[in-house]
Amino acid sequence: MDPEPERSAGVIEARSQPATDPRGGAWERFEQLYRSSRDDVYAYVATLLRDPAAAEDVTALAFERAYRRRGTFDRRRGVERAWLFGIARNAALDELRRRTRVAALVVDPEDVAAPSVADGAEVALRRTAVRSAIAALNGREREIVALKFHGGLTNGEIGRVLGISETAAGTLLYRTMEKLRRACDANG
Amino acid sequence: MRTADPEPLEPEMEAALEAIDATLAGDPVDPRHAELAELALILRDERPPAGESFAVAMDARVRDRFSVASGRRPRSWRAVRLPRRPAKGWMVWAPVGALAAVVLVIALVTLVPGGSSAPGSVSSGASSAPGSGGAGTAASAGSASANSSAARSTNTGAGPPTAPSGGERQVVQSARLALSTRPGKIDAVSQQVFDVAGSAKGYVANSSVTATGRSSSNAEFQLRVPSANLQQALSQLSRLRGATVVSSTNSSNDITGQVGGAGRRLAEARALERSLLGRLANAYTTEQIDSLKAQIRDANATIDRDQAALNRLHAQVRYSQIALTIQGSAAAGPTGHGGGFTLHRAGHDAVRVLVVAAGVLLIALAVAIPLALVAALAAWLSLRLRRRRRESALDRA
Repeated sequence: MDPEPERSAGVIEARSQPATDPRGGAWERFEQLYRSSRDDVYAYVATLLRDPAAAEDVTALAFERAYRRRGTFDRRRGVERAWLFGIARNAALDELRRRTRVAALVVDPEDVAAPSVADGAEVALRRTAVRSAIAALNGREREIVALKFHGGLTNGEIGRVLGISETAAGTLLYRTMEKLRRACDANG
Repeated sequence: MRTADPEPLEPEMEAALEAIDATLAGDPVDPRHAELAELALILRDERPPAGESFAVAMDARVRDRFSVASGRRPRSWRAVRLPRRPAKGWMVWAPVGALAAVVLVIALVTLVPGGSSAPGSVSSGASSAPGSGGAGTAASAGSASANSSAARSTNTGAGPPTAPSGGERQVVQSARLALSTRPGKIDAVSQQVFDVAGSAKGYVANSSVTATGRSSSNAEFQLRVPSANLQQALSQLSRLRGATVVSSTNSSNDITGQVGGAGRRLAEARALERSLLGRLANAYTTEQIDSLKAQIRDANATIDRDQAALNRLHAQVRYSQIALTIQGSAAAGPTGHGGGFTLHRAGHDAVRVLVVAAGVLLIALAVAIPLALVAALAAWLSLRLRRRRRESALDRA
């Protein structure tokens, strides 16, 4: 079944003053959304952009936009996490477009082939194979991996973010996983 | 755009997705999905962690509610390119303002005098000939007449004494006005006609009033008013208490040529008279004297006729004629303009205002709806285009 949406950990308690927002609980809801989603949004954006510095910028921009528009959120149209990830997605894609216009894509800052020292040899090899497989995915496939495993969204939320149905999101995820598995087997 | 679910997932696919979710939730999975579960865990572990400095800075920014003046944005962050969207109020009020402007323009075009004339109104200026203002015409006609009289007795010059000066037109104006009133009010309305003629410094040339108390009641008037007061008289006649205007016709006739011709004929007759008088002074024989006297009598008669014709023309210019008919009618409104406030009249006015307002609204909608459709289509296309560009950026990444 779908995991619990609140995955971000280690977020510092941001609230230091009583909520005095004229819109009532909007600020408290936003604060709670921030606490539960900050790291997830960053992870999703970072996977999409493959640039930690740009991911920080875009994550901050996404939260600021969400804060500005918090009064426009309509619960009938979906859960807040999907709404927030939609904002983050638009910001990330705008960043990708800007990069395409300005210059070539920034290269990955990390060496995907570098295994973690703490891992065992077999696990390290397996991780290396997965990283190589992820690097070979196209943008759409990499995005659904990011939404599912880094953003922690349910298939229904992924559908809302991408503007597709839950079934279509599940199908896309399944095919991407199959592609990754085949690539890992080939690399392994 | 969200697409509808085409069909449920295949069982194998559904089982695999459930295994992924179970793995991420820490639940056991079927051994046949062990490889998939391992892959899911590795993918989860590949999640990029947020930097500590970024987390601290974000917490601070959220705590300050993204205050620009807080200055807590880390130096390493690049300038956040936050496109400032227009205020929501502006987005709402801009179309409303544009619509209001359209409605205002339409209302002005519709309601401005001349755009559509109200029924029963007298069209002023319809009878005016170029350069023939009522007052000016009457004054010039009077002046010309005075000159003619003076010439009749004293002028001995060669020029035509009453020929119109260059560019000054001699225009005869006339009007026909048909009123309607209740049969019992024929007398009262007729009395008002006499009052109007007097106030306009005119007179009633002839009149015929038949008051039977039924629909056959009627009255006819021939009014003569100074041309300078014609419009004033027509305006007053159109607002007689208890009467409503059925029709109104103004007409004009430029008789500058006729006046000039009459003046020339008069001058020629006078020249002939002077010539005959001169010859009479030099005549010696009785026959010559008698013949010349006879010719002089004829010349005098011609002068009198031409002078009278010229005077008639001048009188037509100075005084305009109004042919007024009043017909008794049971269907006529109880009051005309200036009849005071009544509930019936107020209701009539209210209905008229509503009809005009509905017409203006209809016209405004006829303009606004296509514009709104075009704007909506443009907005939809813009959104689609922007979405496509974003998606294409994802494809290129």
